[in-house]
Amino acid sequence: MIAFEDHFHLLKTELEKILDTALSKGGDFAELYLEYRVYSFINMEEDIIKETAESISLGLGIRVLSGEMTGYGYTNDLSSEKINKAALSAASIASRRGGKNFFQFKKVKSKANVYAVSDPLHTTDLKQKIDLVKEAYLACQKSAAKIKKVKVLFQDHVQHVSIINSEGLISEDARPQAKLVCYAVAEKDGRKEIGYSGGGGRVGLGYFSQVLTPKQVGQEAAEEALRLLEAVEAPAGEMPVVLAPGHSGVLVHEAVGHLLEADFNRKKTSIFWDKMGQRVGSPLVTIYDDPTIPSFRGSYNLDDEGTVPRKTLLIDKGIVTSYLQDRLSARLMNLPLTGHGRRQDYTCAPIPRMSNTYIERGQDDPGEILKSVRRGIYTEKFEGGQVEDSGKFTFTISSGYLIEEGRLTAPIKQATLIGTNIDILRKIEMVGHDLAFGLQTGTCGKEGQEVPVGDGCPTIKISEMTVGGRT
Amino acid sequence: MNENFKTADLSGLAQNLVAFAKSSGADEAEITIGDGYEFSVDVRLGKIENLVEAGSRHLGLKIIKDMKTAYATSSDFAEETLKHLIRNAIRRAAFGSRDECAGLPPTAPEKIDGASLNLFDPEIKDLDAAIKIHLALETERIALEDKRITNSHGASFVTNEVTTVLANSSGFVGSYDQTFCSLSVGLQAGGTDDKVEDYWFSAERFFKGLESPEEIAKKAVERTVRQLNPRKIQTQTVPVIFEPSMTASLLGFLFACISGMAVYQKVSFLADRLGERIGNEKITVIDDGLIPGKLGSRPFDSEGIPSQKTAVLEKGRLSSYICNTYAARKLKLRSTGNADGTGVSPNNFYLVPGSKPPQDIISSTKKGLILVRTIGHGLNPVTGDISRGAFGLWVQDGEIAYPVAEITIAGNLEKILNQVEIVGNDLEFRTAVCGPTIKVGELTVAGE
Repeated sequence: MIAFEDHFHLLKTELEKILDTALSKGGDFAELYLEYRVYSFINMEEDIIKETAESISLGLGIRVLSGEMTGYGYTNDLSSEKINKAALSAASIASRRGGKNFFQFKKVKSKANVYAVSDPLHTTDLKQKIDLVKEAYLACQKSAAKIKKVKVLFQDHVQHVSIINSEGLISEDARPQAKLVCYAVAEKDGRKEIGYSGGGGRVGLGYFSQVLTPKQVGQEAAEEALRLLEAVEAPAGEMPVVLAPGHSGVLVHEAVGHLLEADFNRKKTSIFWDKMGQRVGSPLVTIYDDPTIPSFRGSYNLDDEGTVPRKTLLIDKGIVTSYLQDRLSARLMNLPLTGHGRRQDYTCAPIPRMSNTYIERGQDDPGEILKSVRRGIYTEKFEGGQVEDSGKFTFTISSGYLIEEGRLTAPIKQATLIGTNIDILRKIEMVGHDLAFGLQTGTCGKEGQEVPVGDGCPTIKISEMTVGGRT
Repeated sequence: MNENFKTADLSGLAQNLVAFAKSSGADEAEITIGDGYEFSVDVRLGKIENLVEAGSRHLGLKIIKDMKTAYATSSDFAEETLKHLIRNAIRRAAFGSRDECAGLPPTAPEKIDGASLNLFDPEIKDLDAAIKIHLALETERIALEDKRITNSHGASFVTNEVTTVLANSSGFVGSYDQTFCSLSVGLQAGGTDDKVEDYWFSAERFFKGLESPEEIAKKAVERTVRQLNPRKIQTQTVPVIFEPSMTASLLGFLFACISGMAVYQKVSFLADRLGERIGNEKITVIDDGLIPGKLGSRPFDSEGIPSQKTAVLEKGRLSSYICNTYAARKLKLRSTGNADGTGVSPNNFYLVPGSKPPQDIISSTKKGLILVRTIGHGLNPVTGDISRGAFGLWVQDGEIAYPVAEITIAGNLEKILNQVEIVGNDLEFRTAVCGPTIKVGELTVAGE
């Protein structure tokens, strides 16, 4: 467990005074978010450690809620004058006269600790981290003569946050995060392809010897680049699509997860807003978002509003059962908190976000799923995706295979899948028993805020999707 | 370095830190400070949703010792923290590797006066919050008057004031002030299960230059409702007309491919192709950091190199890469004044317009697709391949027939640049990367 460090040294009386100022215009709720983050970065390319970087982020955000309205101020100048100014900026959202406030603080703690780290990376010597980077780099480079270029990045940070609100909540969390990624460029007859691999999470140094070694990361990136050299164009048009377990979880994140974030439903911009309790997909589909999976990239002990998070069942056998909530939406929708109020940093107000989102395992044998497809594509890895509130989404396959007569044949190149989420959920025909999670390197963007996330799924067959390859 | 560290002006602080780094053992040092003030208001359905007001400062530093580079950033301006970061960076540099291309640029002989670029609007500082809120409310209100609009993502008004200060051990000291403001609205039309959505915005350095709430609302409504009741189309290869925002997106991809960083790393299909023809004679692309008042203008880049006007593509011929000092040394070229942090970024990066009005381009198209929006990723600089989800308008006999959705477009940047048949006359510098309407001979549009 990483000990929480306080870099603000604000007395209880000072905290009360800031909250009082924040409520001076009559807001319903005020909250302080104090963040201190130390980040470290190593980049190796062209056979040298090209750069190292260190970043310190220290700042305070103040939020005031008044009905459906949010006032927000922040500062990284911790003088009482600037903090007061930020509190007044946030306060200005309300327009009544505030009364005197009495705060009875109570510490909120998570029972579980999802950061099982005995050897935190922020105190690990730089030399040891550089060794990890070099190991991945060399493993990738040595994989094949066709690997012409390698790039390895290592990032770790520790984020100390404390949250204090006018309901009396005081909570703190010290969150580690690490990521090792490798890019490989393979070249043959003038053709170049990029492969990618990586891993990490809320982990310490030991992860890179016990769970995922740098050597694996380097070799996997090389293998992907080499495979893509042999890849053919994906076919275009409508056809069955089989999602490989693990990386394909980005589909559930994009196509379903975002639209179950409470804010979009409260505002009725999501197509799910009127579908609570209704069937939206095949009975084979059950979807969870779980911030409590130990060591996962998207996990946390407390969300950024100090709520203890819980594993949330979003879709139960095809039926919508819950949204992902933050305080604002939960209060306005009169629904329980789920612990999904997250923010990028102290400059941002929290909004409902995913953590680790996945489709639950099913009954089907993955081999049988493949056998059921005469001609289609098998998606192995995605570059990313995007969804609109209307439910229309795309995602880009970075590697996959053709399926011909029930067997994987040629590897395919970059192609785009497009669809509408409810349509896809209905078209899920088979769900494998082989649930796996994708690379622990994902970041999700929403309203300009980036947060670390994870996703997963078993092998899944979608009866028909539009594939945009080239003809 | 002294006790009045906090109150000293930012330029003095930057110079003090450069001196501290040198005296602590750095061969070279560069300090950047950004001091910003942000105001934003989001309104939705006639009410304020979010109001943000904040000032913040950030410091970035770069240390070179024995041709080894280390970076650091901080939002904590406490003297001890900054000294600690500098000492740490010098220590960390030793763990790096010697890099013959590392190092600051030599001091530039010329210096551009920031004031001559017209980047700062003094009116923005004094703009009353009530006016900003009113503009957002008004924009949304006008849009919602149209009964075809069924929901709103809200309207936003944003202003930013930023002071940038740079000092380095080659003797460069410079600073400039700039402002930004924007007004936008996002809308939905259609029922729950056949929603369509789009948005419109205006972004300027000067408040007076912003489009009016009426103009923005009207455009957002038009862009949204024109997508109602889309059809699917058969997979086919047809001429594709790119609206200006789509041309801008294509140019953004071109920028990624001619970025000196991607080129020296050979992760761009345009590496080693300087001087070659990669587009037809209709294609001339310029990067210009010196156009007064434009969003992509600045007097100097993040290394202190003065901005310039660079012809990137001249009648289809690749005439320059976009370089910072590091990429320039790698490629034995000159910096183009586009350094941004450890990489490069575009200044005003645009496709030079032609003479045809966009309406004439549509009229001249017997059958084709007007590309209005793309979503998703699917741009590969190593190959130039493009594959994206798309929304468009189908053109039949020179007229817009119906909207289309659930399609993807696929092609290759070089092929597209060679197949541009018409370049429109409607270039507007709405964003730093921009272009007019273009018509591309043929692209694969995948549907059913």
